Amino acid sequence: MKYFDRLHPAVAFVYFALMIAISMLTTNPVVIAVSYLSSIVFCGMLIGGRQLMVSLAYNLPLLILLSATNPIFVHKGETILFFLNDNPVTKEAILYGVFASMMIMSVFYWFKCYSTVMTSDKFIYLFGRIIPKLSLVLSMSIAFIPKLKRKYKEIDEAQKALGIYSGKGMVDKIRSKFRVLSILLTNSLESSIDTADSMRARGYGLKGRSSYAIYKMTASDKILCALFILVGTASIVLIVLGTVDFNFYPTLSPISLQALQIVAYAIITAFAFAPTILEVKENVLWRCLKSKI
Amino acid sequence: MPGKKQKVKKAIGLAIMLVAIPLLIVLGVWLFEDRKYNVISMVIALLSCVPFFIRFEKGKNGAREIVVIAVMTAFSVIGRLAFSPIPAFKPVTAITIIAGIALGAESGFMVGSLTAIVSNIFFGQGPWTPFQMFVWGILGFVSGAVFYKKQTPNRWILSLAGLVGGVAYSLLMDVWSTVSMEGSFNFVRYLSYVGTSLPFMAMYAVSNVVFLLVLAKPFLTKINRIKTKYGIFQK
Repeated sequence: MKYFDRLHPAVAFVYFALMIAISMLTTNPVVIAVSYLSSIVFCGMLIGGRQLMVSLAYNLPLLILLSATNPIFVHKGETILFFLNDNPVTKEAILYGVFASMMIMSVFYWFKCYSTVMTSDKFIYLFGRIIPKLSLVLSMSIAFIPKLKRKYKEIDEAQKALGIYSGKGMVDKIRSKFRVLSILLTNSLESSIDTADSMRARGYGLKGRSSYAIYKMTASDKILCALFILVGTASIVLIVLGTVDFNFYPTLSPISLQALQIVAYAIITAFAFAPTILEVKENVLWRCLKSKI
Repeated sequence: MPGKKQKVKKAIGLAIMLVAIPLLIVLGVWLFEDRKYNVISMVIALLSCVPFFIRFEKGKNGAREIVVIAVMTAFSVIGRLAFSPIPAFKPVTAITIIAGIALGAESGFMVGSLTAIVSNIFFGQGPWTPFQMFVWGILGFVSGAVFYKKQTPNRWILSLAGLVGGVAYSLLMDVWSTVSMEGSFNFVRYLSYVGTSLPFMAMYAVSNVVFLLVLAKPFLTKINRIKTKYGIFQK
């Protein structure tokens, strides 16, 4: 189990919300690059190297494609590199395209981390009291998907065994799919009513019902949450105040490295890599303890 | 006479949703003209969903209604997953429209927007999620508002609905593409995006019409049967 998985859901939620906001709030290339790298590294730790490679194999070409569209549409910027169909292609537009798509990708990876860590039971735990119906309908729809897939297979096999269709030939295949889907809809609607009645029989929606929760806010959770809020808000304040403002057009603004900027970059980098560092620290600690036993 | 009062209340609610939200978007464009528009537009899209969610939360939907909405959502997500190899050819809008027709405007919105959240667990969440939530949701809402109390629409009207739904989905999602790359809303760029996405728009529209023609009749029959049998979603 990963360290971030074991944290109190509120702590993880606060972190992801702040980090996604930071990634989207600025066009500063340093911040975007830091967010991009850290999101990919952390995502790799959560889902494993092989899965990360699969997703990168799909996302890197997309990144290049997205980057390439910007200079085709936008002709702002002063450093003209060459002409394409009589339209100037500028260095600024190319770089803007690269960093804008990197920003989108970093948000994508942060959301991927989020959905790996924040499973629907955690979401219900956090929001079940504020929005009980919404979180219920959300988690039910998620739960229905593997259920429906399994049911589809069952119905398909039963129909085949009954000799209703052979599943060979294009027309027969499509007809069979349609038939199974239609059975599946009736079946799942009916059985869902059973589920609902059983829920009502057990007192769903009555006042004063408590819900089962295994999460406890420990002292270390509280400290970590406070740290996240402090560092994350500090980063956002620095960004909103314009400390790390960066313009691509008409010319690239220089990346100034005065004391304030260095502090801002350091804070943001520390915040972005915090989950990775925590995860590594936990792994190292585990190794040390293991060898002592 | 509770009927009349309720009707007035409902009309006001409808007006708030259909007028106030676009107003909010316009206000957002006007107030935050040049800065961080990608974040603001995402927040606006999310906020636009909030009135619908509140109505759902405060509404008198019981467990049975909630579960049926969840089943319809799962169906539309599975449809998106099943057709994932073919770009833009998806049954999501069609199923959302069917849900709106059968279950009413508010439930239609829920099915559309929940489909966006749930299916993006598989396809990848991102800043586009709130936009899809809103766009699919509003398509379900409008179809419910137009068709819920009427007789089941015939083929021609269904095809028209599918066509309009596909064009609307494409046009609204192009707003996201523009804003996310540009950081602000550049109309010329928006037009060029609309231009490049024309084949997708056609594909959306065609797939909607195809799925609506194939699925609407059997789905509506089945859902209506459940509605009558268990006395849920009564008008």
